[in-house]
Amino acid sequence: MKEIEVKGKKIALNDEGFLEHPEEWDEEVAKALAQVEEGIEFLTDEHWAVINYIRNHYMEKKLAPMVRKICKSTGFQLKHIFELFPSGPAKGACKVAGLPKPDGCV
Amino acid sequence: MAKIEQTDSFEDKLKNIEQEDIKKASSVFHEKLNSDWAAHLNSCVHCGLCAETCHYYLADRDIKSLPVYKLNLVNQVFKKYFTFAGKKAPGWIGARELDKQMVQEWVDSLFGRCSLCGRCFLNCTMGINIPYLIRTARGVLSAVGLVPPGLQSTVDTAIRTGNNMGISKQDWLETIEWLEEELQAEVNDHKARLPLDKKGAKLLYTINPREAMFFPLSISAVGKIFYATGEDWTFSSEYFDVTNYGLYNGDDEAAGRMSGRLVQAMEKLGCQTLVLAECGHGFNSNRWEAPEWLKKKYEFEVKSILQIVSDYIREGRIQLDPSRNKKKVTLHDPCNLVRLGGVIEEQRYIVRNSVSNFIEMTPNREKNYCCGGGGGQLAMTRFAERRLKAGKIKADQIKNTGAEVVVTPCHNCIDQLMELNKHYKLGVEIKTVCEIVADALIINKK
Repeated sequence: MKEIEVKGKKIALNDEGFLEHPEEWDEEVAKALAQVEEGIEFLTDEHWAVINYIRNHYMEKKLAPMVRKICKSTGFQLKHIFELFPSGPAKGACKVAGLPKPDGCV
Repeated sequence: MAKIEQTDSFEDKLKNIEQEDIKKASSVFHEKLNSDWAAHLNSCVHCGLCAETCHYYLADRDIKSLPVYKLNLVNQVFKKYFTFAGKKAPGWIGARELDKQMVQEWVDSLFGRCSLCGRCFLNCTMGINIPYLIRTARGVLSAVGLVPPGLQSTVDTAIRTGNNMGISKQDWLETIEWLEEELQAEVNDHKARLPLDKKGAKLLYTINPREAMFFPLSISAVGKIFYATGEDWTFSSEYFDVTNYGLYNGDDEAAGRMSGRLVQAMEKLGCQTLVLAECGHGFNSNRWEAPEWLKKKYEFEVKSILQIVSDYIREGRIQLDPSRNKKKVTLHDPCNLVRLGGVIEEQRYIVRNSVSNFIEMTPNREKNYCCGGGGGQLAMTRFAERRLKAGKIKADQIKNTGAEVVVTPCHNCIDQLMELNKHYKLGVEIKTVCEIVADALIINKK
């Protein structure tokens, strides 16, 4: 079991760096996840556009969105999503947005 | 939240396995064994040759990672319940009950230290099919609900929704529509199609759901190749999932239901050939195992997309310009497609025709090492640390080639290779075979 410390509070991560308790997510947690798990020192507005869309979709449907929806809603090309999150939409963007690890070959 | 509860209940169950479950497990084990498998279980001569073949053992040198140790866990239980000496004097012949401790050891070793890659089987002096026996034992755990959570939820999602990521029909159709628009823009032809439910099409193509969900470039690549040949092909709007995690949790009934859906789609659309995407275990499941699970012969042909594309090149149906892929490229062989599936030379032929600088990793083909992500390992978070460690040998193989690009015909391998790339700082690009073909593809204006 891994953990990160955010503002003095310890947040539990699973062995792959996804939040153990997705409800503990907030913007500070996202920043810490981005740094520790993705090596992103500073989250730009473009990162936030992706993160917020994924987070809201998850809160509403309890599912990660299709990458098509991420592209359409943010207006970014697929390539740009990978530039923003080098580990890709699942282990990069969804992880920083505090989602649990998706099922399947990821 | 559901996932946390699931993890907790698994831990509880593992700690407090009921006598009733033990009884059930033993009877399921009995049902699954026939004389062939009993002979395999009785054949190990403890030569130890398998030790050095296993990427887990090479990574941690832990006795529990030895293939013979893992096989012996199954064998000890077999002796206890199904041999005279084991019933009467278990201590004498090393027979053990399938009690709480043994169940915990089974979960730890058979799920947590094996990717069912079959490399031990290839090198076994006696020819014992170790991965098959381990899968059988996994099936016993499956029957009493003791499959680690991420793996079981992937099977459950597939059974419940028709694909292993729970993609809705609407999302699937919208994604195909979107990718079709992208293809039209790319080839500058508004008539380019990604056809859906085209009755009587020659080929029915399938995908790994993660392509539609997160990594659609590989769908675009295949769409572009089909476009270039003018192929008569289609997707199904209902069943498109090539994966089958029933191969990994050992649940034959669930595995049959998943593969049966592709049979239904083939029958409904009346296609001639079921074409399996670049997916190692999906190929092994749907090409080789499914008729056994379904107790039914296929009425149609089943091929890997690699066999289709290599034919296109051989027959001159597509033209490739290898100078468009100038970087040094190596190829990773997925265990289920190559060692266990028999598709070995097609991908080499394709890659050699698509890139200008190709190098094999060593060893390769059926002797290749597993990436470490197979056998359901990617889905089982509890064993993630071991998985990354067991992948070191693959990371070293890649480093030794000096390649800048790793190509592999398996989405599961791709995900593990992406993790190895990050963890071992390999600095390589990772692509499917069809993606590299699409990069080299010459599109003739129509």
